[in-house]
Amino acid sequence: MIYFLLLANKQGKIRLSKWYQNFTKKQKTKLQKEVVSLCLSRSQRSCNFIEWNDYKIIYRRYASLYFMICCDTEDNELIGLEIIHHFVEILDKYFGSVCELDIIFNFQKAYNVLDEVIIDGKLQDSSKKSILRSVGTQDFLILNAPETGTLNL
Amino acid sequence: MSMQVRDLIKAVRGCKTQQKIREVITRESALIRNSFRKEDKINRPRNIYKLIYIHMLGFPSEFGQLECLKLIASPSYIGKRIGYLGLSILVKENQEVLFMSTNIIRNDLSSEDRYIVGLALAALGNIGSSEMLRDLAPEIEKLMESESSYLKKKATLVAIRTIRLVPESVDRFIGKVRTLIGEKNHGVVLTGLQLVLSIVKTEPETIVKFRKLVPGLVRMLKSLINSGYSSEYDFRGTADPFLQYNILRLLRYLGEGSKKSSKLMADILTQVGTSGGITKNVEIAILYEAVLTILSIESDSKLRVTAINTLSRFLSGRHNNSKYVALNTLLKAVNTEPKSLKRHRKVIVECLKDQDISIRRRALDLVFGIMDKQNVESLTQELLDCLPKAENEFRYDITAKICTAIEKFPPNDKWQIDTLIKVLTIGGQYIRDDVSSMMTSVIGRNPDLQYYTSKKLFNILLNDRYRNQTFLQVSSWVIGEYGDILMQKSEKDGELITTTQALDLFQILLESSRTTDGTKYYILTALIKFSTRIEGHDELIKKIIKPYREHVNVELQQRACEFFLLFDYSEIRDPILDRMPVFVEKEIELEIEEEISENNNKGMNYNLQENTHTIQNQINNIQNIQNIPNVQNTQNTEMNELLMLNTDTKKTQTQNKQDSLNFLKEIFNGSSSSNTNNMNNMNNNMNNNMNNNMNNNMNNNGGQDLGLDLGLGLGLGLGLGMNNQSQRQNQNKMQMQKQQNQNQTINQNKNQNQNQRQVQNQSQNKSQNQNQNQNQSKVQNQPIIVYEKNGMKIEMNFKVGNIRGAPAVMSIIKTTNSSPLLISNYLLQVAVPKTLKAQLSQPSGQNIPPNGNGSINQQLQIIKMVNQKTQLAILLRINYVINGQKIVENKEVSNIPIIF
Repeated sequence: MIYFLLLANKQGKIRLSKWYQNFTKKQKTKLQKEVVSLCLSRSQRSCNFIEWNDYKIIYRRYASLYFMICCDTEDNELIGLEIIHHFVEILDKYFGSVCELDIIFNFQKAYNVLDEVIIDGKLQDSSKKSILRSVGTQDFLILNAPETGTLNL
Repeated sequence: MSMQVRDLIKAVRGCKTQQKIREVITRESALIRNSFRKEDKINRPRNIYKLIYIHMLGFPSEFGQLECLKLIASPSYIGKRIGYLGLSILVKENQEVLFMSTNIIRNDLSSEDRYIVGLALAALGNIGSSEMLRDLAPEIEKLMESESSYLKKKATLVAIRTIRLVPESVDRFIGKVRTLIGEKNHGVVLTGLQLVLSIVKTEPETIVKFRKLVPGLVRMLKSLINSGYSSEYDFRGTADPFLQYNILRLLRYLGEGSKKSSKLMADILTQVGTSGGITKNVEIAILYEAVLTILSIESDSKLRVTAINTLSRFLSGRHNNSKYVALNTLLKAVNTEPKSLKRHRKVIVECLKDQDISIRRRALDLVFGIMDKQNVESLTQELLDCLPKAENEFRYDITAKICTAIEKFPPNDKWQIDTLIKVLTIGGQYIRDDVSSMMTSVIGRNPDLQYYTSKKLFNILLNDRYRNQTFLQVSSWVIGEYGDILMQKSEKDGELITTTQALDLFQILLESSRTTDGTKYYILTALIKFSTRIEGHDELIKKIIKPYREHVNVELQQRACEFFLLFDYSEIRDPILDRMPVFVEKEIELEIEEEISENNNKGMNYNLQENTHTIQNQINNIQNIQNIPNVQNTQNTEMNELLMLNTDTKKTQTQNKQDSLNFLKEIFNGSSSSNTNNMNNMNNNMNNNMNNNMNNNMNNNGGQDLGLDLGLGLGLGLGLGMNNQSQRQNQNKMQMQKQQNQNQTINQNKNQNQNQRQVQNQSQNKSQNQNQNQNQSKVQNQPIIVYEKNGMKIEMNFKVGNIRGAPAVMSIIKTTNSSPLLISNYLLQVAVPKTLKAQLSQPSGQNIPPNGNGSINQQLQIIKMVNQKTQLAILLRINYVINGQKIVENKEVSNIPIIF
């Protein structure tokens, strides 16, 4: 099970954070800092897993973005990497070759996609198509809603 | 009019300093607050988005929580969507806002619009508190039967959270499993499998029921593997790895402990475990999961070997990630599959050279794990080879492993010495302290190696004298101790090693700025030993030692002064500096370990072994539990008191004005007129103390202590005897040598008062004592039941031997429990008469399972402190809890057939 998921850039700026376990705000800030600095300081030749406290951090770098998930130590690390990749592929298809800027300016969309991929730290579906379909339908609903014009987000 | 979300992000990104960002955010937050206060409905969604962004930057955002509630309460999908997103990010669990949202969520769960239901489910699944989930469990249960698979999978994941936070709700969901797994939609099956996994983890008793699923799961896995390409579930050539992973994981739980189920899945596991490449991460992930399953369930040995081989394939691949998981798994399999693991020695060793430190670390652990008597030589060599290239931190780990290997699996003593020297020369500065004592003990018990080692060390020193300090310390100790052997034999061999050469070397080392004071202690001690080992170099040695009498380091100064003074007492110098006695400690420990492991077939061996190495609890009497250093201290004060008594009697002039010498001076000059009895007592006491000092050396093995305590302890102990009567000098001299054989010491002490018949009696007594010992050990191997009550039985067996040269009784205390109740919090305390010293090891556990299904083993060592016959008596205090009742009982054990 995934306890939290972080997305940060090379400079360590958080771009997305999702918590599935009950942490206080203080804990979150601390954990976030620790995990990000741990992952950023790893050399590229090192493996993508870090044993950390009672957890295991699985991270993977895509261009300037680091995707990090914090799991149980008994979880399959390689599957963890696959889950990250699954999410990245979906983001990629959704945004059309995703980049950091897409996520910065459309963080709410990224969150929506994430909610369709993972709930409570568990994978919801293995089909990218079905996930993209439901995200797409929901976006369509919003686009055609009568109040969208007045919202001016 | 506040700005758009996009503009806020741009504004923040445009800020050059953190201060500027703070300003922008503070301004914006104020505006948002204002807007909230005005109940500005139109801007509410936008404000929540902004707050989410502000939250991500780490600024306060709590004031928006209530607004989120208002949003989700609005009828429109768009409002709900933003509201739920805000809720899940801004609101933390256990907050009132969450509680207030429960009813809105309940309404949304029964909405007609499945996307609204989906939003509510996602929010519940991500942030739902235990109260909410308990309240909404019926709704969740209903949604798991919904027609839409979109909602089914979401509801199932919420159910998993419910089970996690409200474990008693598990029964509600067990019945749903079968239909979920039977679905066609992969998403639903996937979540269904995760549900079973969480049920099984929460309620392990349900495993038996779920075993019925095994054939279905096997079929599902088979069809996944054999199915052709399907674009929907293809992951670079692997069909739905997430589903495969979850099936394999579940099979693992179901197969554990069930031969029948394990058999059912054996075929498919073989297929998964052997097919598939190891180039892509997905493929490796599935293979790895299959291996984990094979190793956990009751597979036959053939399948297990396949699994180990697969892991070894990972190791020879080029992915660091797969190496990492393979090493981790192999480490776990080291105890169960040692044989097949050893076959992959080569690839494992290769991982020692990996660039990734976490892989190297694991490889090191694994190399150590597969080490045994047969491969220790080659594996140690491999470890030695990677020592120079490793980074400092890792070197400590490597040397530690090498040293343990040397200690644990030595094929022969010569190899042990050679390897020790190699480690010392290559990585001496990264080595744990007790390596020097290991070395000295090996050399001590092996006279053949004394020349070999000292010559080897000497030659290394000659060629490169700026080795690390540990090496210098060990080599100067060895060369000093066995200097005579070195010189005599090298002359015979035609080697060009001369005493002057050695002395020159020592002098250079002493004067070198690269030699630390700690090392200089050793060199000084080596020098003074040289003076007794080889005649005719006193003046030169004196000349070398002389300047150190005024050295700025007090410790060094004291040594130099004491040693310098020893030249004036050449009669006592020899016995003081006599050869170190052979260390017997290790063999005894080993013997006991073996016995324990025989008594104990449940893998406690390792535990106990460790215990013998850790500081053992010394319990002198029940009220007064002391550990080793304390005991030592009290003895030292006793000694000091004794010394005071004697030194008061007479004082003579002294030649040296050094303060640090006062102690020694007083001893030397103090007690010429004290009576014989008193002296004998003192001698006894001193001897014990000496023993203790030496024991301490051998125990603590602190590099620096070795030389120092020897000098002082021996010097003091002998100094006393010397001044009394010249005859006694001889005795004391002999007494020193008798350290090696305690039987002799006992005899000698007896003879001390009579001053006669020494030689004849010695041999007689010795043989008598030996006979006695033999007789005794025959009797004492029978265990004695010392306590039996409430089904608990404590048995002790006794064995006479000696520990570090002192006569001792070793005993193994075995506690069993034949009652139907669990005995917990078991604690045993031991008291012995003051003339003895007891050391009780850590117990192997605290709880004893009922009906004789287990035992606690503890090891007791009783060492004799005074040289008189003592009837062994032990007082036990037994503490334990049975049936919720705390029991403390004292028991005296006096029927022990041992007089020693």
